[in-house]
Amino acid sequence: MNIIALAGNPNSGKSSIFNQLTGLRQKVANFPGVTVEKKSGKFQLYDNEEVTLIDLPGAYSLYPNSEDERVVLNVLTNPADENYPDVVIYVADVTNLEKHLLLLIQIKDLGLPCVMALNMSDVAEKEGIRTDIELLSGFLKVPIVPVSGRTGANIDNLKQVVSAILKDKTATPLLYQPGPTEQKTIHRLQTEMAIENPYRALLIAHHFKKLPFLKQVEKAAIARICEAEGFNDMRLQIAETMRRYEDFTPVLQKSIRREAEKTTLTDRLDAVLTHRIFAPVIFFGIMFLVFQAIFAWAVYPMNWIESGFREAADFLKATLPAGWFTDLLTEGVLAGLGGIVVFVPQIAILFLLITILEEVGYMARAVFIFDKLMQQFGLNGRSVVALVSGGACAIPAIMSTRTINNWKERLITILVTPFISCSARIPVYSVLIGFAVPSKSLLGLFNLQGLSFMGLYLLGIGAAFFSAFVLKKILKSGEPSWLMLQLPPYRLPVWRNVWLTIWEKVRSFVVQAGKVILVISIVLWGLASYGPSAKMGRAEQAAIAQAKEKSLNENETSDLVAAHKIEASYAGHLGKFIEPAIRPLGFDWKIGIALVTSFAAREVFVGTMATIYSIGSTDDEASIRDQLAEARRPDTGAKVYTAATAMSLLIFYVFAMQCMSTLAVVKRETGGWKWPLIQFVFMSGIAYLASWFTYQLMS
Amino acid sequence: MGNSVTELKQGRTGRITHFTDDQIAGKLTTMGVLPGSKVQVVRTAPFSGGFYLKVDGMNIVLRAHEADNIMTTADE
Repeated sequence: MNIIALAGNPNSGKSSIFNQLTGLRQKVANFPGVTVEKKSGKFQLYDNEEVTLIDLPGAYSLYPNSEDERVVLNVLTNPADENYPDVVIYVADVTNLEKHLLLLIQIKDLGLPCVMALNMSDVAEKEGIRTDIELLSGFLKVPIVPVSGRTGANIDNLKQVVSAILKDKTATPLLYQPGPTEQKTIHRLQTEMAIENPYRALLIAHHFKKLPFLKQVEKAAIARICEAEGFNDMRLQIAETMRRYEDFTPVLQKSIRREAEKTTLTDRLDAVLTHRIFAPVIFFGIMFLVFQAIFAWAVYPMNWIESGFREAADFLKATLPAGWFTDLLTEGVLAGLGGIVVFVPQIAILFLLITILEEVGYMARAVFIFDKLMQQFGLNGRSVVALVSGGACAIPAIMSTRTINNWKERLITILVTPFISCSARIPVYSVLIGFAVPSKSLLGLFNLQGLSFMGLYLLGIGAAFFSAFVLKKILKSGEPSWLMLQLPPYRLPVWRNVWLTIWEKVRSFVVQAGKVILVISIVLWGLASYGPSAKMGRAEQAAIAQAKEKSLNENETSDLVAAHKIEASYAGHLGKFIEPAIRPLGFDWKIGIALVTSFAAREVFVGTMATIYSIGSTDDEASIRDQLAEARRPDTGAKVYTAATAMSLLIFYVFAMQCMSTLAVVKRETGGWKWPLIQFVFMSGIAYLASWFTYQLMS
Repeated sequence: MGNSVTELKQGRTGRITHFTDDQIAGKLTTMGVLPGSKVQVVRTAPFSGGFYLKVDGMNIVLRAHEADNIMTTADE
């Protein structure tokens, strides 16, 4: 199957064109060996030929400045690469064309057949920009199709041109005329290393040290040639870039006519949105609205999902014969699935809002606003995006750090993001705050419980910045840190892109986190349902006897049996085993079980407590709270859930790394178990100490 | 031989003459910030942070120590 690659600068609107071409027929993976996201899809050309479309990361040139840009170089200079394209669709923004041509002519000089998709043609018309396509196309020797990623105009035309190029791939001469040193180096590489294309030879001379497809012997040979020819890569790179600009700038000036420069809407908006004083205020205002929206809107679909799963479980219990299989299905599989799906509304709403902020161009401004502040903590302006997303879920937040080009800053961002209270902590917080904090109002205005909620969030944010500061002092980095960022003009979001992003994020959450959570819930169900058989039998009989004594009804009896059984089960043994370690924090073995199980995902805590405290099938937070309030220590008769215990538990959940899926993502992003292990140890350590301190202080 | 762009008053325009650091020049030139480009200091970031520049109609932000390397002559 023919491979078509999409290339272009960041902000060229590449993803809109990608979405127009593939629609839902796309998938996301990684480029081999790196954690750079690779979007690919399939579409049909004019003559029904099916082709693979690969969306290369946005890049300014074949002289990479980030991991993303490096991928473009690696793919396009290696004809043996599995992603090496047959045709390149080059997306350029017509409203800023002079800054978009460099990469195109570099790709073309590699001998790759190209077509230029001139994006934003609809906007250009409105802004009074007129382009002489024939003149430009004649100079570049590249067919040009004006398109609109927003409306989809002319996309069919683009496909037609791609078909035509696939049928007739005639090579065109180099646009770039190399200087004497370059020429000699190219010539030697071509003859001695059998590299056919001259520009490919030149790029190899520049980048061979970091090109993954070259063997050590080859690298040594190239190094010798470059040294013999006095090849100075930095100076030559700058000279090449400047010469290319000198070549095409006069042609561009002739082929583009625009109305006289005037103050644009973007300039006027930025005067306020990036203002030295207003900017941070507006940013926090927007974030406040975002989180308000998440909590206010997500409640309804979450309730529907919860009751839906409950009804499904009841239905299965009523229709299927009683037995271990039905139990596994309802208490293991369905409970596990419900625990995942219930977070879909929050994740979807968060991504809806963040994607809109991204699409309109606001996120780039946030990076600019906070870069200096973030640097004080060893972070980067781009960390803002990750920390904000961490409020929904650390997993996509950590994935978004790929745009941070300095490894130390990226690593610190990855390590501290899980301190930000994510949506999975919400159910835990809301159950426990009921204990720790009386439902009173302060000054008749603020609800005390609501304030505590906010306090917990601030505590998490504080912990993130404090640890970042400490990590900044500990970690060494020789790599220079820099930030050069283009601020795109503000534009209305392309809704198609927004919906596709949400769909993609939600799907990957359900599939990736879902797999882990599902397995854990089934294992847990097993641990909690089975135990040494003699003990389990005795526990059941004891419970039934106790129930008769108290003349309980059928439901209450089965709840009591379940409670006794869980104590005798493997999970009960596990809880008792760790009890000595968590006693100083004010926790008993039952909380111990919940701590262990909620390591899979924090929200599991509520479900586990429900099972242990024999509330049977209810998942209702209020009834769990009532039940917990009644719990007493068997030895002393003292209440288990004092305000001190609840507060200690709350503090524990603010800091602890209770999320397997996050650890798995950190492992993937940092390329090994070292960092996730360190992260787990320091987060748990802080959690333990802070809980211990809280409990000792309050009790 | 010109001053750094960071010494331009806010709102003033200048023309880039050269860069004083090759690494930064390499990155800036690929983004289309070139000797000869028209540059305007739009504003500086909150928390005494980086620079917001307009280069040939393109909005670009960079850190102060990066902008230090861009040498300009002030236009009248």
